[in-house]
Amino acid sequence: MRSRRPPFLWLLEKEWRELLVSKSWWVLLLGMGPLVGMSFISAVRTYAEVSGLNGTAAGVGEALSPLIGVWAPTFSACELAAVFLLPFVAIRLVAGDHQSGALKLELQQGLSPFTRIWAKALILLAGWVVAMLPSLSAILLWRSYGGSTYAPELLTLTAGHLLNAGLTIALAAAMAALSEHPSTAAILTLSFTVGTWILNFFGAIQGGWWERAAGYTPAAMVAEFQHGLVRLDTVLIALVLILSGLGFAAVWMRLGVAVSRRVYESAGVSLLAAAGILACTFATASWDTSESRGNSFPEPDEQALRQIHTPLRIEVHLAPEDPRRSDLDHRALSKLRRVMPQLKVQYISATSTGLFEQTSAGYGEIWYFLGSRKTMSRVTTAEGVLETIYSLAGIAPPVESDDAVFRGHPLAVAPKGAGVIFYALWPALVVAAAAVVRKSVK
Amino acid sequence: MLFEVTGLSKRFGAIAALRDVSFRVREGEVLGLIGPNGAGKSTLFECLGGALPSDSGVIRAGGRTVGARERPSLLFYVPDSIAPWPTQTARWALDFTIGFFHGQSQLRDEVVEQLDLRPLLNQPIGTLSKGQRKRVLLGIGLLTRQPALLIDEPFEGLDLRQRRDIAAALRAHAARGRTLFLSIHQINDAARFCDRFVLLSSGRVCGEGTVEELAGLAAARDQTTPLQDLEEVFLALT
Repeated sequence: MRSRRPPFLWLLEKEWRELLVSKSWWVLLLGMGPLVGMSFISAVRTYAEVSGLNGTAAGVGEALSPLIGVWAPTFSACELAAVFLLPFVAIRLVAGDHQSGALKLELQQGLSPFTRIWAKALILLAGWVVAMLPSLSAILLWRSYGGSTYAPELLTLTAGHLLNAGLTIALAAAMAALSEHPSTAAILTLSFTVGTWILNFFGAIQGGWWERAAGYTPAAMVAEFQHGLVRLDTVLIALVLILSGLGFAAVWMRLGVAVSRRVYESAGVSLLAAAGILACTFATASWDTSESRGNSFPEPDEQALRQIHTPLRIEVHLAPEDPRRSDLDHRALSKLRRVMPQLKVQYISATSTGLFEQTSAGYGEIWYFLGSRKTMSRVTTAEGVLETIYSLAGIAPPVESDDAVFRGHPLAVAPKGAGVIFYALWPALVVAAAAVVRKSVK
Repeated sequence: MLFEVTGLSKRFGAIAALRDVSFRVREGEVLGLIGPNGAGKSTLFECLGGALPSDSGVIRAGGRTVGARERPSLLFYVPDSIAPWPTQTARWALDFTIGFFHGQSQLRDEVVEQLDLRPLLNQPIGTLSKGQRKRVLLGIGLLTRQPALLIDEPFEGLDLRQRRDIAAALRAHAARGRTLFLSIHQINDAARFCDRFVLLSSGRVCGEGTVEELAGLAAARDQTTPLQDLEEVFLALT
């Protein structure tokens, strides 16, 4: 009599059991408690001080957003774990079959290699959700202190870290399938991650295409989610990269296929991925899920800007490392791009630091071109940029309203009980669960 | 005939592991692949089982070529020296085989008895000795459904009594019509157990047939009287 359960479910169960007996996963779980605890406790303390605890400046906390003040640092523990711990769990699960010889048996089932790697990725993602429990429990703790939460920004943050974990899993799976030994896979995975950091560094120095590419690295993607910004192109590119990584892993898991053919297929996957990424860069939709609307201009300004139908071009004469350029980018241009997708920004500089260009004529100028009209300004603040654009477009600036201003949620409390939960209770729970579960699975 | 292998070759860089290997596998027979260490027996099985790509050669069954995707419906290969799912118990491995590979659940208890697996059922595979692990691997193979079962070194790591018991178990399954293709480097073991033989030496097939047929082949080649012993036949042909 044949089993009624489809082979894929058997595979899922097998991968889940393998995860449960994997020491690396339990170490990841164990580490998450103190990691999250340290970040959360430190963030809540700082938040409390800024909110006026112990007589610190009252009123400073008015603009405080829990997303930036508490959740971004608390969830940064997940980013750290995704880079330094999760790859080992993923490599163990993918390379384990190869090492033990189970792959030679399982490949004879006839399931497609992509289905096989998909099962592993799903289980690893489920394992990651469990590892994120300390971060999620921090939300409950914050609520118990009387802290305010805003579901859309928390969901965005969680989704960002899930996507980041997906990228790590796909990368580690590809490397584990490519290399003969798990240690080689670990070195390759970490090297790749370091490579993305170098790309970020280059992007900050060189600007141009480097900067554009650096915007799609996992670290940059997580930073956007941490600010409550969901960009369709970033999400789609992350998904393409995840699928490509899993595709690579599927190609290299097929032991019975000639290496030359696997190389050709990998090249095909790379080409498809490159085409997919290129196509995704044209997606301009984005959503600001932060309660403070930190990634957007005030609503009246956005409405005013939408009235401008002539394409706007901005020429920025600032070097990549000039702090004014960074200010302009983060405070104004990134928000402007969201309202005016056709905006074209051109950066012009002779050097990367701009130190020796300060005396050059035209350095520091920001030129605005709208149809046949143009104007120049040196202001890099959001208000200054908006003022210049309104003046150029001949539009009256909207009346400022205090109602729409985000007032923040100051909370001057100490992180009571957090130490016990994250430093004692969670590790004890993990150790006890590991002992029980590993025994019962075996 | 269940299937036929034609012109199978495999190189590892400058080394030719298999050279134009061709032979036939008959339905319900116990076919022994014999040859010294390094003859290419495991490589041949890995290629047939889809664990290693071959450079050339085809498998034909029922008059048509069996592609890599159709192979899992024709044969199942049990490699030597592997410890699959080391943290899982032998009991789980057998159940997984039945579920994942659509194995024969009605044979489960019988296989457990035949291979004396009951004392091992609750032990993780990674903690088993070489011989115990071999018995579990044989159990996995016997529970699968494919018409042909390829086992690399089925008696490796087993003591005399276990060899005898396992030979009887394999025979019982062959008697039901399952085709067994076994790679055995101990020629005496093969001689006692197999119906026919494929002799492999330095990656080439030196002969194929029953002991008598191979002896006749050796006698015809050397123009001597036919030998009776498989070992001597093997030495004469290789």
